[in-house]
Amino acid sequence: MGVSGVMGISVSALNAAQVGLQTTGHNIANANTPGYSRQEVQMDTRKPQYSGSGFLGQGVEVSTVKRAYSEFLNGQVLSEQSQAAMLNTYHTQIKEIDNVIADSNSGVSPAIQGFFSAVNNVSTSPESQPARQAMLNSGNALAARFQSLNQRFIDVNNSVGNQISNSVTQINSYAKQIALLNQNIVQQTAVSNQPPNDLLDQRDQLVAKLNTQLKATVVRQGDGAYNVFVGSGQSLVVGSDSFSLALAQSPSEPSKQDVVYNNKNGTQSVIQQSSLQGGNLGGFLTFRDTTLASSQNSLGRVAMGISGVLNQQHQLGQDLNDNLGENLFVPTVPAVYSNTTNNGSGVVAASIDSAEDFAALTGSDYKLRFDGGTSYTLIRQSDHKETNFASGLPNTPVDGLRFTSTEGAQAGDTYLIRPTVNGARDFTLNIRDPAKIAAALPIRANAEFSNQGSAKIASGSVNTPPTNPDPMHPGTDVNLKNPVAISFTSATTFDVFDMKAGVKIATAVPYADGRDISFNGWTTQISGVPAEGDIFSVGENLNATADGRNSLIIAGLQTKDTLGAANGGTATMSFQGAYAQWVSEIGNKTRELQVTSTAQTSMAEQSVATQQSFAGVNLDEEAANLMRYQRAYQAAGKAMQISNTLFDTVLQLGR
Amino acid sequence: MRISSGSVFDTNVSMLNHQQASLLHTNQQVASGRRMLTPADDPAASASALLVAQADGTNSQLEVNRNAVKSSTGMAESVLQSVSSLITEAKTMAVQAGNGILSGSDRKSIASTLQGRLDELIALANSTDGTGNYLFSGFQGKTIPFLKTALGVQYMADDGQRMVQVGSSRKMAASDSGSDVFMRVKNGNGAFVTEGNSANTGAASIGQGTVTNSNLLTGSTYKLNFNSPFSYTLTETKSTGEVLPPVPQEPEPPFQYASGEAITLPGMHISIMGAPERGDTFTVTPSTNEGLFKTLADLIVALNTTNPAGDAATSSQLTSSLSKAMSGLDRGLDNVLTARASLGARLNELDSLQATGEDLGLQYKQTLSTLQDLDYNKAISDLNRQTTSLTAAQKSFKQVAELSMFNYM
Repeated sequence: MGVSGVMGISVSALNAAQVGLQTTGHNIANANTPGYSRQEVQMDTRKPQYSGSGFLGQGVEVSTVKRAYSEFLNGQVLSEQSQAAMLNTYHTQIKEIDNVIADSNSGVSPAIQGFFSAVNNVSTSPESQPARQAMLNSGNALAARFQSLNQRFIDVNNSVGNQISNSVTQINSYAKQIALLNQNIVQQTAVSNQPPNDLLDQRDQLVAKLNTQLKATVVRQGDGAYNVFVGSGQSLVVGSDSFSLALAQSPSEPSKQDVVYNNKNGTQSVIQQSSLQGGNLGGFLTFRDTTLASSQNSLGRVAMGISGVLNQQHQLGQDLNDNLGENLFVPTVPAVYSNTTNNGSGVVAASIDSAEDFAALTGSDYKLRFDGGTSYTLIRQSDHKETNFASGLPNTPVDGLRFTSTEGAQAGDTYLIRPTVNGARDFTLNIRDPAKIAAALPIRANAEFSNQGSAKIASGSVNTPPTNPDPMHPGTDVNLKNPVAISFTSATTFDVFDMKAGVKIATAVPYADGRDISFNGWTTQISGVPAEGDIFSVGENLNATADGRNSLIIAGLQTKDTLGAANGGTATMSFQGAYAQWVSEIGNKTRELQVTSTAQTSMAEQSVATQQSFAGVNLDEEAANLMRYQRAYQAAGKAMQISNTLFDTVLQLGR
Repeated sequence: MRISSGSVFDTNVSMLNHQQASLLHTNQQVASGRRMLTPADDPAASASALLVAQADGTNSQLEVNRNAVKSSTGMAESVLQSVSSLITEAKTMAVQAGNGILSGSDRKSIASTLQGRLDELIALANSTDGTGNYLFSGFQGKTIPFLKTALGVQYMADDGQRMVQVGSSRKMAASDSGSDVFMRVKNGNGAFVTEGNSANTGAASIGQGTVTNSNLLTGSTYKLNFNSPFSYTLTETKSTGEVLPPVPQEPEPPFQYASGEAITLPGMHISIMGAPERGDTFTVTPSTNEGLFKTLADLIVALNTTNPAGDAATSSQLTSSLSKAMSGLDRGLDNVLTARASLGARLNELDSLQATGEDLGLQYKQTLSTLQDLDYNKAISDLNRQTTSLTAAQKSFKQVAELSMFNYM
């Protein structure tokens, strides 16, 4: 064989060098293609031929073109990038809120300050119509500020909803493409028994994109197909079949859209939203269900605190028309939603009744579950603390909330209670007429001119809650405005007469300097030295245009601790304090996400760099390869030329 | 180690992005002068800044409140100043009226001057502030506090004191009720009133008396009955209305009378001057709140009363009335001066609160500045450092990117 053998070997070398050059060219061409893995030509020696003088080499053959792919490195990139995408999305979203409250001049706090300054001005000149009108105007300004901030939350919520929907559409499209590629890959592998490198790269790239939307688990099948699972094990791709996610109204809250899973039979299954982690979708869901919801609750709590606490105090006062005060703000009612999957017809309502109750509000949401019989369980969503009511809903408030229910609930029925979610949205002034601002108190106290002693009586305050509430005006006592005479029967004792009812309501009460004297829902103090026969009177405070006692108390509520009481405890923060706490929470969370998302992004970049250092194209290396295969090609050509010359030599022998 | 050519670009771009982001942050800080662009930059400081800003705002509001109190207190003070000089004048006239050489018509002309003064006093007591609120009407700002009626001047308002928040924990009265200033004036010497019966025929007059021991005062009314020009008996009527039998009882001899000698009653001394007649009576009753208006009105009535003893003599009646009026005016002046002293003390306190408030405001502003404002030295130095390092990164990126084997092929 001899000469022709040299020719055959040269041809094989020429072919191998050509494949090498082609692959190098392919690598150079795809140096910037995302997801491309560098390809290498795998060369082997051909089977040698036995001859008497031993095994003679038969040249080279290309056994396969292999892509540089490491399942381990790729897996790491997927999980790091998925986490980074989630944190980045979360950070981008929370920054929206952080930016809204960034400017201390446009937040709620200057509006709160402005309102209470106006209340102060009413307390210094209660009869002044301009001061009263200014108080209503700044109340409206405060309402507008609360509402616009709340509207911002709603806008953010809507935009997050759109992005969730986009994200779901993309996930579904990726799932379809992966299923299609699965089919191609399985077919082509079966036909050629060679790896379809570029298809594999494309599929891996799709899986990576899917992971930036939602964390997905990939299980590689024996035939080369990928099965992809999301959430708590929902299969998104099985072989060449794909399934899809969709959005549907949440059963617990009608205004919310949950991500659900479309079953093969056309029904939808609920997915635990918190199991959808990672990727943009995970970021959006976490932001919407934790930060956004709790922000709306926290702001709502400040708004409800102001309206609730001020309403309570305003009702104890008296307006310019000598009527008892109405609600200063429209009271906000806690939102309660029956779960749409409830079997029973029972309805639950929640209310917040007193200043103490407003103080005890937490800003958390609650889930109430009917356990059958008379048993209910209340689950606080912020810390999942469960409270069981074995014998029906309690009369005493829990975290400031009082519950009532109607008949017809069935065991397992649940209700979602969002006490403060609408606080900022519904913050509105109830009073439009400046004269209706209850700046005065409904009672005043006088000492008779005929008194011999030097004792003085304080002008009095109104008790809350009243022991004997007026059905027309539950904040105050039914006998509050009755004229009452305190008559000293000696220097150390006094009798008390209700002049309207014409009855003695207390006899021989011992006198102590400055001690509280409480009757008919008011409290006053007498101090100094009374004499026998001295008379003090307490009664209606008519025409009291210059009395600003109630507005003085209301103005004082600005800096008083009125919120943040643990159940039944004492209040720990002012309105502004509660607002500042929320600002600091958002600030802290934003900062935390800023740090973690930066860290996670750089970790993802690191793992990409590591993966790329293995799978990426290095142009210098390819340049070297070009030269290498060029040389090989040239050498093979030379060998062929020599073999050709040899042929010529042999042919000339025959001439 | 193998480096992917794409990574070189990716890594560099990402690093340049980071550097540009921090450069932009510093740039924004410098441009806005704020250290914290959003609460995330310093969550704790931004929460404190909110609270400090509220404290600062409240502090400024307190200054507004203090000015309101200052203005109303200042008005009340100037009204009461006029009232004190009016009372002093009235006293001078009362002294003048006691002069024995004055005729009945002289006294009547003094009375008519005093009537003018009384009207002026009523007008002063009904003074209003700039917005039409009565200064001395308690809570009823639009109710005229002092009204002339058939029964004399009546107080129509209440005891309310208008309180205003002037310090973070200090409420101050911005008004005093008219009843306290003008009406709660004890007549007599403040503990008791001495009076001669208007039907007395003798020339004796009773002095105002003095309290010797206020703990012994009984609150009873005492009546001295002269059963002869030289002796008298004493009847005590308790505050409960119980009348005790006269002392000394027969057959004890009645008390002996000597002109000008101190007569001792429980806790008090009184004295009677001149010559009483048989059947004359004098009473000592506990003081009641009379009011400046009634004191003046009573004085005017006494001056207008024709002297039964003729123009030349000063009747014992007139002497008693004048002495009573003088003492009433003294007590009234005391009362007004006390009110003025309290107003002055409030004005002083307002000044010191104002000084404290200004200091506090300065401190709040400093704290806010520390929390929020940018340290320009640091920021500019940061800016320079970041610019330098960004420029260096850009240069090195360019150099690295230019390196390629292909340049040599």
